[in-house]
Amino acid sequence: MAAAAVQESVSSQWLPDMDFIRQELGRQDPTVLSVLVALVVGLISLLIWRLLRGSQSRRRAILLVGLCDSGKTLLFSRLLTGNYWKTHTSISPNTAAYRAKNDKGSNFTLVDVPGHESLRLQFLEQYKTAVRAMIFVVDSSAFQRQVKEVAEFLYQILTDATLLQYSPPMLIACNKQDISMAKSAKLIQQQLEKELNTLRVTQSAAPSTLEGSDSPSTTQLGKKGKDFEFSQLPMKIEFLECSLRDSKEEEGDANLGNVEGWLAKLA
Amino acid sequence: MLDFFTIFSKGGIVLWCFEGVRGSFSGPVNALLRSVILQERGGSNSYNHDALTLKYKLDNQFELVFVVGYQNILTLTYVDKLIDDVHKEFRDKYRNQIQQNGALGLLNGSFDFQDDFNSLLSAAEKSGKTRPKDNMRPFEESEKSKKTVKSMIEKPGEKPKENNNKKNKSSKKENLAPEAITSNKAKVSAPASTGDKEELTSEEAMQRKREEFFKKRMKTGDKANKSPKPETQKEKGKQPRVWVQGASNTKELDYSKPTTNGSTEEVTVPDDDLEALRFRSGLMAGNPPDVEYGSSSEEEEDVPSVQTEAASSAAKSSAKKSAFGGMFGMLKGLVGAKSLTLEDMEPVLEKMKDHLIAKNVAADIAVQLCESVAKRLEGKVMGTFSTVTSAVKQALQESLVQILQPKRRVDVLRDVLESQRMRRPYVITFCGVNGVGKSTNLAKISFWLIENGYSVLIAACDTFRAGAVEQLRTHTRRLNSLHPPEKHNGRTMVQLYEKGYGKDAAGIAMEAISYARNQSFDVVLVDTAGRMQDNAPLMTALAKLITVNMPDLVLFVGEALVGNEAVDQLVKFNKALADHSMSEKPRLIDGIVLTKFDTIDDKVGAAISMTYITGQPIVFVGTGQTYCDLRSLNVKAVVAALMKA
Repeated sequence: MAAAAVQESVSSQWLPDMDFIRQELGRQDPTVLSVLVALVVGLISLLIWRLLRGSQSRRRAILLVGLCDSGKTLLFSRLLTGNYWKTHTSISPNTAAYRAKNDKGSNFTLVDVPGHESLRLQFLEQYKTAVRAMIFVVDSSAFQRQVKEVAEFLYQILTDATLLQYSPPMLIACNKQDISMAKSAKLIQQQLEKELNTLRVTQSAAPSTLEGSDSPSTTQLGKKGKDFEFSQLPMKIEFLECSLRDSKEEEGDANLGNVEGWLAKLA
Repeated sequence: MLDFFTIFSKGGIVLWCFEGVRGSFSGPVNALLRSVILQERGGSNSYNHDALTLKYKLDNQFELVFVVGYQNILTLTYVDKLIDDVHKEFRDKYRNQIQQNGALGLLNGSFDFQDDFNSLLSAAEKSGKTRPKDNMRPFEESEKSKKTVKSMIEKPGEKPKENNNKKNKSSKKENLAPEAITSNKAKVSAPASTGDKEELTSEEAMQRKREEFFKKRMKTGDKANKSPKPETQKEKGKQPRVWVQGASNTKELDYSKPTTNGSTEEVTVPDDDLEALRFRSGLMAGNPPDVEYGSSSEEEEDVPSVQTEAASSAAKSSAKKSAFGGMFGMLKGLVGAKSLTLEDMEPVLEKMKDHLIAKNVAADIAVQLCESVAKRLEGKVMGTFSTVTSAVKQALQESLVQILQPKRRVDVLRDVLESQRMRRPYVITFCGVNGVGKSTNLAKISFWLIENGYSVLIAACDTFRAGAVEQLRTHTRRLNSLHPPEKHNGRTMVQLYEKGYGKDAAGIAMEAISYARNQSFDVVLVDTAGRMQDNAPLMTALAKLITVNMPDLVLFVGEALVGNEAVDQLVKFNKALADHSMSEKPRLIDGIVLTKFDTIDDKVGAAISMTYITGQPIVFVGTGQTYCDLRSLNVKAVVAALMKA
């Protein structure tokens, strides 16, 4: 009885408000309507934001990184459609959903990060919180020329604090194997290890940055006192050879079965 | 005519391309992307690469880029229109394909644009061809061609009399030959293709003139024997003068109709002038002119500000309306169908420009940056809850980061290691204007190198300023006392190479480098005399020093206090280095040392100005007087300081 009475009192307390609202609605007062709409919109946006956050925290992004002209965009389109496309220097990233070729058919988001010096770090920053795996594309035919640049970019990725936390598996795809002068994956691995070993010394000796909020990366690459090897790293790094063009005709079949296989094993 | 036309997404996937000429065009297009669009030099829409001119257009709504290329010896007037047309056509045709699920939509889509493009191209070419025809008039049609011939007959009419007898014979002989030639020419010119028309017509005109000239000669020659005919010609020529005297005659008035028309016009024009004068004088009577002028100018000044206020308030009110107004507007806002226009951005960009200038960015560069940002944002569909200001700010921040991000690898220690392996010293040359801190920062850098175990030879190539050598000697002594040879296996870590004052700097540098090679020093730091960028002889000397010695790194030392002057300094230094070097590929400035960074608080604009002009990275930042005050640039911190209100 008492409870019912309380409820009644509560409802009677509420009722006038409801009446008021109904009245206002009846009058079609724009302010009340707009307040209500604003509330609804706020809720919806919160939900959407949550969903976005949620999907991000689930780490579904596979990043295609590498220098300019190493073949990231072509790899992107080859993985998605299998077709050959002409490409130019990217000025914004490409993203698309990718279904791995395994039994589960797990879903990933493929992100093609532009390779230009002024863009790559910016976009890497943007996507690195959502990274599931990384494919580092190397131009094997021009490797001798670019070895320092490749190593420096790789060093930046390998010493990144956020990436180290999760240490995603990494594939170093030695692309352009169809060109006759291309270096083999084994040689590229050796040279990169050697170069990263020297970079370890020179980068840690570089003058400290201006009073930035984040302290310079003090993370040591590999084990101290030993020559650097990729096996010392917390993340699993694999080297594979592939070619996205045919040596005879430009639009011929690509040889990237092993890359697809690596992606299938990720799930 | 066009070498190529290509349409690709901003992600770099070519959707469709037209190749007018065989051969790859990805080189020039990539060069355009890297050197114009990615470096925020997008103010103008054309770019020259070797023998090609490239024009481009960005579609920010659909994230597309349109690039057209043609030989730059051609002046194709229709290209701009063609790009616009193709852009419109392409966008309308493939709107759905492009908008569907991002990159995947692009990759799955098929873009058969060839037919549409061909029709657009032929239309554009036609419009381009008709225009020049209107402008150019064949010589025969022009007034001048008739005049000259006439004047040739009339004026020398008396003079040839004396030469007649001589010329008569000669011209008679010549007469046969030119006629034969002209007949040949006429036959040739008749079936000639339209493309060569202009050339042939001019030749024809020449030929015809010559013909007529010869004929006249003949006539005058013939007529010279009978004197009355030329006289009658003279009378004809004089007829107008008769009319001038007898103006009252109606016949003559009729004869010269156009002039009377002209005269009536002349009458009316002064009337207008008079009225205007009367009007003005009335005003003058009303108010004293200068006060009026002043008040009007004030009003003029007020009006735009009021307008901008009104515009901003209108924008605000419209925003309020969309917030408080009906559901439709809100839903529209949610969907995000707003696309940015130049008018929307203008006030914000103006504010941003002022902000950048207040942060000590050079004025020209602030303007160029804002233009580039506007180009990048125009037509872009804004995010759900973003305002124009936030969108512009975001874009500006991104482009600032892009500018400051080094375009090439800068790792001095790595390169020193490399040259150590090749058993030659690594040479760094310092240049800059007076008093920016070349020697001080040279000392800091040598300290840093010594700390890392490299031996340094300092070449005192400032042979001009009193005390420059002594200053370096003091630094050397101090550095040696900090790092005595005992600590480094008895090796002297730093040494000064000096040859006193008044000598040739390039020679000293060369000697120093060979000395360093013999004594196996790792690094040679060349200190040059400070020079103003306008001092031509000194700039020539610097260029000589750099061309002769081929240093591995040319560092420009600039102070962070500099404002608009930074542009002038860097442009002129680069120009001097380019002008005075004999080689095909001149050595320019490779990097920048930004000094006195501790004195500027958050006015860090000089960093932007300098990197924007040269496109070269800031290698070191000097932040104080002691040897340890050497830093590298933190892009994030600098951009944050720049964007801070």
